[in-house]
Amino acid sequence: MNAVVRPPPVPGSLSQAAFEQRLRDAVMDAAPLLNAKLLPVSVRSAALNRALAAGLPQLRDDLWRYADLKFLGSAPWAPSPVAQDPARWQGAARALLPEREAGFERLVFVNGRHAPELSDALPAFDAGVGPVVPERTRHERFGWLNDAFATDLVRLSVEGTRQLEIVFVATPVDQPQAVHPRLELAVQPGAALTLLERHAGNAGGNSLINAATQLHVGKGARCQHLREQSLSLDSQFLDTLQVAVDADATYELTLLQLGARSLRSSQRLSLYGTGASVQVNGVAVARGARTLDHSLLVDHVAPGTRSGQVLRGIAHDRSRIAWRSRVEVAATARNAAAEQSLKGLLGGTGAEVDLRPQLEIHTDQVRASHGATTGALDENMRFYLLSRGLDPDTARGLLEWSFLEDAVSRIGDAALRRLAEQRLVATLGSTVAGEALQ
Amino acid sequence: MNSPMLSIRNLHARAGDHEVLRGIDLDVPVGQVHAIMGPNGSGKSSLANVLGGKPGYEVTAGTVTYRDRDLLAIAPEVRAREGLFLGFQYPVEIPGVNNTYLLRAALNAARRHRGQPEVDAYDFLELVRGKARLMKMDESFLSRGVNEGFSGGEKKRNEILQMLVLEPLLAVLDETDSGLDIDALKVVAEGINSLRSPERALVLVTHYQRLLDHVAPDQVHVLARGRIVKSGGPELARELEQRGYDWLLDEAA
Repeated sequence: MNAVVRPPPVPGSLSQAAFEQRLRDAVMDAAPLLNAKLLPVSVRSAALNRALAAGLPQLRDDLWRYADLKFLGSAPWAPSPVAQDPARWQGAARALLPEREAGFERLVFVNGRHAPELSDALPAFDAGVGPVVPERTRHERFGWLNDAFATDLVRLSVEGTRQLEIVFVATPVDQPQAVHPRLELAVQPGAALTLLERHAGNAGGNSLINAATQLHVGKGARCQHLREQSLSLDSQFLDTLQVAVDADATYELTLLQLGARSLRSSQRLSLYGTGASVQVNGVAVARGARTLDHSLLVDHVAPGTRSGQVLRGIAHDRSRIAWRSRVEVAATARNAAAEQSLKGLLGGTGAEVDLRPQLEIHTDQVRASHGATTGALDENMRFYLLSRGLDPDTARGLLEWSFLEDAVSRIGDAALRRLAEQRLVATLGSTVAGEALQ
Repeated sequence: MNSPMLSIRNLHARAGDHEVLRGIDLDVPVGQVHAIMGPNGSGKSSLANVLGGKPGYEVTAGTVTYRDRDLLAIAPEVRAREGLFLGFQYPVEIPGVNNTYLLRAALNAARRHRGQPEVDAYDFLELVRGKARLMKMDESFLSRGVNEGFSGGEKKRNEILQMLVLEPLLAVLDETDSGLDIDALKVVAEGINSLRSPERALVLVTHYQRLLDHVAPDQVHVLARGRIVKSGGPELARELEQRGYDWLLDEAA
């Protein structure tokens, strides 16, 4: 008998075979919860098979080397039936909900399930909306597992001008659970969407949150998207974002990674229409022994497409932050322009920031630039503030603020920018007064 | 109290492997303006930085007494709250941190230290606007990030603006005149002069004599190779302007 020998799996002691078995068992356990009206069985089954074929990320896989996936050895994949009753958990969820943003329509999901009592009266699901991103943009193993296990979802078509706040809040239930938040939005040609996507709360010890967001930005449309992740500091969070941007459309993504013990966030942005553009502003702050790992791919397919990235990370204590950012410019993407700026700030002797800007170009006519720097706080800047009488904590807080503000200040929408700034001020601690806001 | 505002005795300091100060003796009495001059690399900026408490300098011998206290034993931020102001040769940019916010935080840190209540927000704005007008700075500078995108001259004006708001007892200005055109030099000099008073003292570190045409010093000291090699009245600055530093270096050698 010829056994297929695979390299040892990354995450702890979990073997490839055991991982496959866990997934198959999870499907059986979760079967009654897997609503076929939302995602047909054929879709779920195909997705599961792709995930099984992909298997666990391997140690030598460059895309996964900074992720901390040890929790996959014990965290469940099947949603817990008790957790799937939003009415039962809405009291707990209400306490964990972030304050509302004025002017935004709100949809709230509790443990991945729509909670109408906590939401505005608007539909979360439009059966007329098909798959929102093309096959090329759908790519990632944990995203497929979201297809397989999502128990509910937002699926909407956006026309005109809208401001939407979608909150995925997790509550602890009596056992570890898997939550699969899912969002599919089609921004119609010429429409303008301001989207506030928030992941908050606490799914309970050794739970798994595996979120997937798909967005299509139609011709000439405009989408400003703020994703705020402020989950509890013991959360284990996998996240897949897939965005396709059509001709002359603009997409702005801001990532605020403020919570979670272990985060792996994968984003794939496809610029497949002529003149499409994206701007990514990313901010990650970690303390303790947490790991925040990001893998971003910007795929320039069409001519005249533009992308910009400003990615910042502050790692304190013994935490790790990784920003891997790859820009691919296809042979068809003449006159594309790409800029990448990655910076890391080390706030502890055991902290680590890994920055990897990568660029792959298959055409001659491209303007591209990238830079990556990591270091401790600038001593000259620090001394300048001390010499004005500020105490060392305030000085450090202000300089960290300044470091992150570089990304956040690029947010075009005033309400989103204000919100992001307020969240950062809160994260950096009370010594930095909100007055430092410009 | 007749003791000097600042009294430096036999001050030696290193920056890395370099001995940058090699036995400085200097007294600055209350109410006086002293100029520290000298060629590049003579230790002028090092002296200013040691007085401000900048990391990277190690004092190996000597004492610095500020208002009868051991200055070197005081943390940099506390030196500032006790009335010492260091004007930077190269003020740093801190994007995203509002200029006015920094001014207010600095003033309130000093006020808290003195047991005074925080300054009223509206009174403070009036104060800052008034000082900005004196420095001929457009009000828009107040709402920008600290020195963010400022020209060299604007940064220096901003240093003096900070000084005017903080009203220090002892200001040490490190080459505040460098990089200024003649109009900006006059504005900066006016700002410095407005702070002269019998209760304060000023130390101007400068390479050129031209600032001293506008801010008349009581004493001029020439620093060379980490030591004061000559002291005198304002006429010494004019002599240096004519003769350069070489003759002093030869004398000191």
